[in-house]
Amino acid sequence: MIPFLLRRLVQSIPTLLLASLLIFFVIQLAPGDFLTPAKLNPNISSEQLAALERNFGLDRPAWQQYLFWMGNMFQGNFGLSFQYQQPVLDIIWPRILNSLYLALMSLILFYSIAIPLGVYGAVRQNSPGDNAVNIVLYFLLGFPSFFLALIVIYFILQLRNATGLDIPIGGMTSNNFEELSPFGQLLDILKHLIIPALVLAISDAAGLTRVIRGQMLEVMRSDYVRTARAKGVSEHTAIWKHTFRNAILPIVAGIGSLLPALISGVGFLEVVFAYPGITPMLLTAIGTQDLYLIAGFTVITTVLLIIGNVISDILLAVVDPRVKVS
Amino acid sequence: MKKALFVALALAATSASAAPFVYPAAWTAEQNTANKRGGELRLGVLSDFKTINPFTSAEADSIPGTMDNGTGLFTQDPRNDEFLPYMADAKPVVSNSGKRFVVKIRQGMKFSDGQAITADDWITTWKIHTDDKVGSNSYDSFFLNDKPITIKKLDNYTLQFDFPQVSSGAYERMSFAPWPDHVFGKAYREGGAEAVKKLWTLGTPASQIVSPGMWVLESFRAGERSVFAKNPNWGDWNKDSRGNALPYLDKLSYRVTGDANASLAAFLAGQIDTVGMRNADDLAQTKRAIDGGSLKATLIPNVSPQAQSSWMTFNWNKASNPTLQKLFRDVRFRRAMSHIANRKAMVDLALGGLGTETYFSVYPIFSQQIAAGASAPKYSYNLAQASKLLAQIGYTKKNAQGYLVDKAGKVLEFNLSTNAGNTTREQLGRIFADEAKKVGVKVNFTPIDFNNLVGQLTSKGEDRPFDAILLGLSGGSNVWSFGANVTPCGTNLHSYNNPTNGKCLTAQESLMTKLYYQGDAELDDAKRRAIGGQLMKAEGELQPVIYLVGGNYHVAYNERIGGEYPRALMNAYYLQRDQALTFVK
Repeated sequence: MIPFLLRRLVQSIPTLLLASLLIFFVIQLAPGDFLTPAKLNPNISSEQLAALERNFGLDRPAWQQYLFWMGNMFQGNFGLSFQYQQPVLDIIWPRILNSLYLALMSLILFYSIAIPLGVYGAVRQNSPGDNAVNIVLYFLLGFPSFFLALIVIYFILQLRNATGLDIPIGGMTSNNFEELSPFGQLLDILKHLIIPALVLAISDAAGLTRVIRGQMLEVMRSDYVRTARAKGVSEHTAIWKHTFRNAILPIVAGIGSLLPALISGVGFLEVVFAYPGITPMLLTAIGTQDLYLIAGFTVITTVLLIIGNVISDILLAVVDPRVKVS
Repeated sequence: MKKALFVALALAATSASAAPFVYPAAWTAEQNTANKRGGELRLGVLSDFKTINPFTSAEADSIPGTMDNGTGLFTQDPRNDEFLPYMADAKPVVSNSGKRFVVKIRQGMKFSDGQAITADDWITTWKIHTDDKVGSNSYDSFFLNDKPITIKKLDNYTLQFDFPQVSSGAYERMSFAPWPDHVFGKAYREGGAEAVKKLWTLGTPASQIVSPGMWVLESFRAGERSVFAKNPNWGDWNKDSRGNALPYLDKLSYRVTGDANASLAAFLAGQIDTVGMRNADDLAQTKRAIDGGSLKATLIPNVSPQAQSSWMTFNWNKASNPTLQKLFRDVRFRRAMSHIANRKAMVDLALGGLGTETYFSVYPIFSQQIAAGASAPKYSYNLAQASKLLAQIGYTKKNAQGYLVDKAGKVLEFNLSTNAGNTTREQLGRIFADEAKKVGVKVNFTPIDFNNLVGQLTSKGEDRPFDAILLGLSGGSNVWSFGANVTPCGTNLHSYNNPTNGKCLTAQESLMTKLYYQGDAELDDAKRRAIGGQLMKAEGELQPVIYLVGGNYHVAYNERIGGEYPRALMNAYYLQRDQALTFVK
């Protein structure tokens, strides 16, 4: 196990270097920099602009800035955000956590919707129920998630106006959040999370449901399932132990790549629901060319991708005894 | 000894009975005679706050910017723009021919944590703002032509400001917010600029934040909302005209809405109390909601012009194209361009009728300065006059396509750029190009990337990389309404003529530069505005930049709040209300 992790760590270094190089210089390709809008401000003198340029290191050539940034990063310092004048990690970490809450919630809902539906579709193949599920899911798959979210918000607003229920349609906490008990605060956050998480889970569920259904059908026709059935195991065991366990192997292998995809993937929904996740902040950072904030976030996403892949390798070994990590 | 004790007692007695600042009754249209107290003013903000630290903050709306509401040695009276002593006890004693100001500080003022506000707080704040390692946004306001303004503490309640030269902006410059010496001074003395920058980050608990002003931070949730509570000690020295402590409100909250449309939606849903009205569309939506009965709000369109204008500038430094350079340097050409600009159509079409025509670098909102320059020439829309002027330059013939040509048969054409994505400016440029075509001038109008455009505009040298640019500036002061970076030769935004040596090219430019500094050094309001009038005259004649139109300011607020300014005092400069006099009905 440990040699495997070490090997993965060493392998990740060139990946990270290349990614950081690419992201840093791609950002540099855009014209202007963080201070360009300040040049149009009649109240900022050229002396102060020069001083700010010096303070931010923007007066140096790009390669020097890059080396300086990399040097700092090896010491765990991701640089200073121009907008916030604070270390990048301090600023983005709370936002990443917020995004992660939403991502995890939607992941749980996603699997608890997709797996039963997929298994049901395989067991009752082409039944009216299976067909109905397929039609609804394909219909939802056709909508981009943010558009679905807008429609949902519209209907919630109508519902609010009609019933007077206080259903949250945006943000992460209510106005009276500070006065709630810890349990009340947890409940308040869950209340705000559930709708965006559900929208995301449902709109994505169609894909996975189809994959599980197909995999299940294939495995169900294999010899060992027929053998198991012939041995007289219960239908429940035949499906969940013999079929499902084998059918999900390719899905488990793909879980790792979900981690970074989820954080950036909830993006559109965060914007629509005014949720304080990473994407709204990142969009502002890109708009203002807050170099180190963008670069720092991208590096963290790359690290998450690498970690995610390691996790899925380990998970694969857990569910499939034939695979060994080392 | 006895005498000393007596003096000490007398001092204590005066400080205890120090007079408060009384908000004139005329500052609000709706008196809070029932003394209704409590409640929350709910506002929206477009993007998340970036810091709590007043020395590193660079945003328009900010946390320190909210907490310095209700501070400053002097404050402007919205009735006549005059400076009243505010945190100062009285008008300053001016000596050294207008360069030295001795200011007595009002006694009995306290920070939100109960510590007295004294001279040390101003001295520390000034020292930190002027340390270039801190990178404060206010750095420039403590210098005049690169020479520092110095501040000396004469005693605990007396400050002496020494200006390197006479400055009309002296009162504004002296009116910065004093931040607590017992927080920032301590850190600065121990750890320098780096220690100051580490203070009051977004991670700092709100209980550690100390405010000199009306509000103090109560809670902050990144990306969601910030809540401010009233500073309990501020009401000791701020009273309404009936002697009641201010503010009436208990709380002020900002909700992060993310974008302007979401802000409007929140206002229409009654979730925030005021919102900026951007255009005719916003006004129409709000009007519909009020008429439909779903929103109880007051809407006042076209309250005043905004402190902003769009303009066109022609590049005088085009060594690579002598024909265009000669043309752009010809005053008759620029006057013709001003005659071509159909400002009325621009207001009607691009701004939906909600705008104001502008002819000078002074925005129409600064009405006292505009009145002083009433005799300055305007070259308003008149295509016949434009054709006449162009004929004088030598453009008399038109080619088969209807464009004017010179003797060599070369078409009169130039490129005009603006920043892509700004639909208003794109429409202004389109209207100008269409009108220009009518007299036979070919304008190649192209929106380009904003950052590229700024790079071109602020470039220096004998051959700068643009023909003409359409852009806008905003901001400015009602004390001396000319841009320090715009009017004098050699400055950053002297956009039309910016050679390597920064020299003026024409007599009017030199005159404008001279008048700019002369007016800036005039303390008397009337005399200063008269100088401004001469400056506007020189500017009008030279037409260095063709000013076009600016948007208007509209007011909208929910009926649950009262205490707004009388209609005559509302404008884009003083806005709709003083938060101190605002109350929940």
